[in-house]
Amino acid sequence: MRYLVCVLMLVPVIALTQEDQNEHAHHHHAMTVDEAGVVMNENTDTLPRGCDSISKDHQLEIHVGRQYANDVPGMIFGFDEHEVQVEPCSRVTLTLVNDDEVRHQWMVHGLPKYLYPAGMFHIEAMGGHSKTGTFIVPVENKSYLVHCDMAQHMEKGLRGQLVVGSGSGDLWGVNGVSDQFIRAPYLPENTRTLIIAAILAGVLAVFLVRFR
Amino acid sequence: MGFLKRNGLWVGALVVALLAWPSQWYPMPMRLQLTRWFGAADYRPLPESVQSPDIVPEVFCPPDPSGWRAEAEIEGVTVSASAPCVADNPYAVAAFVKGTNNVSQGTLLSSGLTADAVTKGRDLDGDGDPDEIHIRLEVAELNGGSPNSSDPVTQYEIAPGIKPGMWVFAPKLAGMAVENFESNIARDTLRAPSPAIRIEQGDTVLVTLENSHYMPHTLHLHGADHSFIDVTGEGNDGVPLTSELPVMPGGARTYELKPRHAGTMFYHCHVQPHVHVMMGLQGLFIIEENRPNNWLQTMNIGAGQVRVPSVASKEDYDQEYDLHYLDLDKQLGERIQASNDPRLITQSMHRDYDITDSTVDYFTLNGKSFPYTFRESLVVGKENDRIKLRVVNGGAKGLALHTHGHKFTITDRDGVRLPEAQRLPQDVAWLATTQRADIELLFRNDGLHAYSPGIWLFHDHQYSGVTTDGIGPGGNISAIAYTDFVADTGWPKTQGVSWNNYFTDQYYRRQTPVWKSYGPELFLEAGTDWRVFTRLLVLALAVGVLVATLFASVVRRRSQ
Repeated sequence: MRYLVCVLMLVPVIALTQEDQNEHAHHHHAMTVDEAGVVMNENTDTLPRGCDSISKDHQLEIHVGRQYANDVPGMIFGFDEHEVQVEPCSRVTLTLVNDDEVRHQWMVHGLPKYLYPAGMFHIEAMGGHSKTGTFIVPVENKSYLVHCDMAQHMEKGLRGQLVVGSGSGDLWGVNGVSDQFIRAPYLPENTRTLIIAAILAGVLAVFLVRFR
Repeated sequence: MGFLKRNGLWVGALVVALLAWPSQWYPMPMRLQLTRWFGAADYRPLPESVQSPDIVPEVFCPPDPSGWRAEAEIEGVTVSASAPCVADNPYAVAAFVKGTNNVSQGTLLSSGLTADAVTKGRDLDGDGDPDEIHIRLEVAELNGGSPNSSDPVTQYEIAPGIKPGMWVFAPKLAGMAVENFESNIARDTLRAPSPAIRIEQGDTVLVTLENSHYMPHTLHLHGADHSFIDVTGEGNDGVPLTSELPVMPGGARTYELKPRHAGTMFYHCHVQPHVHVMMGLQGLFIIEENRPNNWLQTMNIGAGQVRVPSVASKEDYDQEYDLHYLDLDKQLGERIQASNDPRLITQSMHRDYDITDSTVDYFTLNGKSFPYTFRESLVVGKENDRIKLRVVNGGAKGLALHTHGHKFTITDRDGVRLPEAQRLPQDVAWLATTQRADIELLFRNDGLHAYSPGIWLFHDHQYSGVTTDGIGPGGNISAIAYTDFVADTGWPKTQGVSWNNYFTDQYYRRQTPVWKSYGPELFLEAGTDWRVFTRLLVLALAVGVLVATLFASVVRRRSQ
């Protein structure tokens, strides 16, 4: 599981201009935009490969905003639920309720590309608005990265996971679920002095015992 | 015999040390004496040059597959051609002119903007252009840190391999901050500098700051006519000390103005300004003179050429450019990359960082340093063109703006027209921090205004300004290029040295000899003298033996 996260993290910077052009073109076809926001790559009826039918219909409402990080130290933004669990082949209709006055997104990565261009399903809600979109999850047990792709929003709290079936292990850095991969040490101010004092104390102890 | 047995080790070590001592480091009197006895040493060639590894430069001039450089007619707006390699998205330009609420869904999607990014309402004075303007700005972090990766996120390079942490005001863009799902690179419209904003004198303007960043910010309209409080009594100056609380993360605030005076002004954040403004939260704020049918390009992303100039500009000038100079302190930008916790970042930036002990390292023009300036910040014209430059120095240092091949005339300073007698041709203009100058650049080959067609650099003539962290050429160097000297691709037809070095990150990391391309026999890196190195190693070994025997004898003596 950790291996998968590492791979996700290390996704190299791929910036082939031509590919971008194609991908953008795809997005345009599967995109609805209004003053409340954007839904990209919506899929209400096409079954992923290996699914015989829709296993279940989920109606979910997820809130996003600064207030959901009030109780999370060191975070600025939050979802009210950072983890969503659904059955394989289920249809998820998700309403993103934005309680802030700035844009936010709920974006899933790593979905099959034959069904979701760039492997992505994306809801963006403008500040004070809510936006609803529907997608169908694949048959595999897998954990998908969910985040807001505005600059620094994932880093400052808007990082979650979509667990399909039994999932494939937790992703790093999901608030309330898993630890941060890179953590500051959070040490008291005079740690350096204390460490040196501890080393000296060790030396002193040996001398006292051996050369008494 | 007994002496040698007892003392053989240290005596041997001493002899070896003296023999190993490189002769070029013998004391000078000893060398002279040796020369008198034995003459000069035999010829030993100096080390061969090292062939440095081949460098693979980036593409100088990226192709323009979408045809953004060409003149375009979009939504009835004529977007003029842009000569350099990298041009602004013309759909965004047209949407800024018409208002994102007044364009088709197709144009809006192609622009990448949200429907409320810049909305335009009624024509209040009946002169054929909208006078109710609502602008929205977000705040974005470029090259910030991440708890999940050691690479910066939302990457933005000012020069090859140079990714300083920055904050910018950004137009309200729909969708992701990066160019695509698999990329860590900021999309082309999310960049430095903060966009140049253009409004018309007398317009009723609302500017909403949607604080999408993780720190408090405000908007202060530096030099633009605005009231201290708005009609409801709320603060309108953006200064937390005197008028209002800052906009907290996730919050928004609307500032209003109806400017009576036209000119080149400035906007910036006024929270901890010595840090926030220097991180990049600053932009040009231009108030154009009122004219009939004056449809303005409300935002100029990345500054540079104004693809749809105002009516007043077109009366006097063939082209107009926004030039935003900004210098950056590398050590300040690194602080947002060092940790992810906003409490730690706040402490690092606002308590540990001491600007009075700081130096600036990077010098940007329109958000880029040389050589990237040549992709998008060339001033391109033909003989007898009259070009308007609106210049701001947003950096901490002053700017000694110098043009090669031309003497320019400053027509306005800080948004105020200068009297005729003060409008004199000059080739160095001093701009203090946040000062603005409107400059008239005349491509008239009369020996004063211009000396001939060509490719003429313009840059800060303070020498740190033409470097990137001390490596030159770098910094804010760009050029005035005449059309005949610019290829169809937009790249200037330079005829000097190869630029391969400058388009590699190795060059700016000090890893490549500076004159490699044209002095390969002379100025490659010098090789290593392995003989001296070996002697030094033997010397060090002998010294180690000496020290150990000395230590052992001291211990032995004490224990006896």
